Amino acid sequence: MSDSAVTPGPAAVAAGGPPAPEPPVGRVSTLARIPNSAALVVFLILEIVFFAANSPYFLNWDNATNILTAISITGVLAAGATLLLVSGQFDLSVGSGVGFVGLLLVELQPHLGTAQAVLVAVAGGIAIGLLNGFLVNVLGINALITTLGTLAIFRGFTLAVGEGQNIAVNGFDWAIARPFLDVPVPALVFVAVAVVFALIMSFTVYGREMYAIGANSNAARLVGIRVKRNLFLAFVISGLCMALAGLLNTSLIGSSSGTTGTGLELAAVTAVILGGTSLQGGTGGVFGTIIGLLIVGVLSNGLTLMNVDSSWQQVATGSLLILAVAFDRLRANLLSGLR
Amino acid sequence: MPFLNALGITKSFGPVKVLDGIDFTAEAGSVVALLGENGAGKSTFVKILAGDHDADGGEILVGGQRSRFGSVADARAAGIRLISQEIADAGTLTVAENVVLGAWPRRLGVVSRKEMRRRAAESLARLRAEIPLNRLVSRLRLGERQMVEIARALAGESQCLLFDEPTAALSDVEAGRLFELIADLREAGVAIVYITHRLDEVFRIADRACVLRDGRISLDRPVAEVKTTDLVEAMVGRAVADRFVEPADGPAQRAEAVLTLHEASGDNFAGVSLSAAPGTVFGLYGKVGSGVSEVAETLFGVRRLAGGELRLDGRAIHLRTPADAIRTGIGFLPPDRQGQAVLLGRPVAENLAAPSWRRLAGRGGLMTRAREARAYRRWHDALSVRSRDDPDQSIGTLSGGNQQKVLLARWLECGSRVLVLSEPTRGVDVGARQEIYQAIRRLAADGTAIVVASSDYEDIVAIADQAAVMVRGRVVAVLDGADITTDQLTESAGGALSVR
Repeated sequence: MSDSAVTPGPAAVAAGGPPAPEPPVGRVSTLARIPNSAALVVFLILEIVFFAANSPYFLNWDNATNILTAISITGVLAAGATLLLVSGQFDLSVGSGVGFVGLLLVELQPHLGTAQAVLVAVAGGIAIGLLNGFLVNVLGINALITTLGTLAIFRGFTLAVGEGQNIAVNGFDWAIARPFLDVPVPALVFVAVAVVFALIMSFTVYGREMYAIGANSNAARLVGIRVKRNLFLAFVISGLCMALAGLLNTSLIGSSSGTTGTGLELAAVTAVILGGTSLQGGTGGVFGTIIGLLIVGVLSNGLTLMNVDSSWQQVATGSLLILAVAFDRLRANLLSGLR
Repeated sequence: MPFLNALGITKSFGPVKVLDGIDFTAEAGSVVALLGENGAGKSTFVKILAGDHDADGGEILVGGQRSRFGSVADARAAGIRLISQEIADAGTLTVAENVVLGAWPRRLGVVSRKEMRRRAAESLARLRAEIPLNRLVSRLRLGERQMVEIARALAGESQCLLFDEPTAALSDVEAGRLFELIADLREAGVAIVYITHRLDEVFRIADRACVLRDGRISLDRPVAEVKTTDLVEAMVGRAVADRFVEPADGPAQRAEAVLTLHEASGDNFAGVSLSAAPGTVFGLYGKVGSGVSEVAETLFGVRRLAGGELRLDGRAIHLRTPADAIRTGIGFLPPDRQGQAVLLGRPVAENLAAPSWRRLAGRGGLMTRAREARAYRRWHDALSVRSRDDPDQSIGTLSGGNQQKVLLARWLECGSRVLVLSEPTRGVDVGARQEIYQAIRRLAADGTAIVVASSDYEDIVAIADQAAVMVRGRVVAVLDGADITTDQLTESAGGALSVR
């Protein structure tokens, strides 16, 4: 026990002390309750206004569906990554997973038929999730290290089997259809996935528990939450996202190769962090992630329309990420300073 | 001859006067035990002697010379070193590196590892501590880390050593070695100031006893002339805390126990029995390291029961996880509110509802803010939580005492019949402390069986109907009703080991 100066003596207590003063709540909580994403929405609108003014091709339905389609594959992965990050976990193996799933499909489809190949490919994605979940929760290896490892392993597998060639797939082009309002299937799938994740995270006990784990995993355990089981499930869900993204990607492009999906893990994590989900976990959500995806998607679409070289687009995206996280830290410091 | 003289030392933190004119002497070749309750100012005083704090007034004489220490380094240069209560080691470095920390032996500007190991081995040998020099400190037991800490103080040439509760984390064997070391140092003419809560230690090693109360010296006499009761009286004074609520008599008192622990052993405790009945509060009192907090954690499935039996409603239960305990109707308030209880950054209603989510969600499994808000409003008034009527506000906007009430309400909403509260008033202010006592008594009156495990006797005196005192993992006294007094608790916890 600390012998600190402020510990009250017994005499003071026996007297039935005065009621505790009201904590200074008003100012802090008003600020704390401004949704983190508000600033990002403003940023997105500014971006849209800027590109609309600078390119005649930017502001129309066609281009809007282009942007949505362009972010859809990353978006499916980012939905899983959001669920993981609110609980304080990462999955960096999703890019390799997409490549692995795609390769399983294109290699097996000629031999097994489409339906069976799809089943095996989905099983492949789930298997990666199970492996990650096992390594992190049963063996207790840090998630960052685990998924860096599986990132390399499954990329290696995919390159070894695919040998760097582009393998085409026949009769698997469902994703290029535009069944509704001229919107391509991947964009619709992404919207559906985002809605499902948003509902899970906001309105199910599982979602609540994931936030609790991210906020304080010790406390979560002490209120009876099965921390490891929940996290295990989240890694498997991330594996399912890989499978779905892998199928979408293969169908949309009509082929897959050893390098398919490279870098998608970073694109997904970028969107999640940009969307305001804290790296420590406990806060954030799918809505923010969608804004994050759109900010990156609109930026790259607009820059392309303005004929900016793709290398410079990368510079712009990278700067944006740092800017957004720096902004988040500043906001957090500001709030804790007021507390 | 006096090595160190403090004259009229005063110190305030904000409006709180912690030291109010302390005159104190430490003689070379002599051991002074410094005693006092929590908050009496002992640690503050030795920190001033060690240059860690500045006194507001008074002066310090070293060897008859007026001295003014601006920093810990100044005090060290004068031969004074503090072995602090809080262990401040570098976990990623080795034992040897930690022993010489801050005083690395150099040769030609480069750290000499050979000399470092020699000095570290020498210091540890003086403590008769067998700790491998190359082991990382983060892999040591707490007691071993304390020994490394002491070895560090020995590595320099010191004429005065200030020990701040050094045995709190030590095993009996280690404590014995420390006492031998202190005897050696005393022979060698070192002046030693020794802060402790354990009265038996005073009689074992000290030449003089000095008691601080409310920032003043209330007793300063040779140990040979005092008895345990003199020390306790000087520490507690006349202001003995009243019992907060008279124990409920009548049916509640005679109610059958719901939770019983029989001859239980586990991490850091053995042979512990206790029982909690609806409508009563069972107090488990012991100093830090006495095993009290381990017993509490075992009752909630955080730790495993190694031997003995835990029964709920007469049936033996085996708790493997906190989730098991919650299912059987046990709730738990952990000692570290920020680290173990609060879901920081999450809404207050969510914090309250967390263990009840599954029930609140019902069959459909859907959880809404409205359901959590209803749960919050149910308990907001019942426990007089002082906050705006806003279930969405972050829990961090509430004061410590009000957070604690929300955390109590957490288990009420969950329908727990047994509540295990570990250090329920740690880090809450005076007013909130009273309100928490009230809340706990009210819960008991409503038929909850409560176990309070605390290192703060005020908690026990204020609210317990029955109490057990633990020392070093064992129950040394069981007190009932009116016998639960500060004197009794302090004496049992401190004096029971004088015959060891």
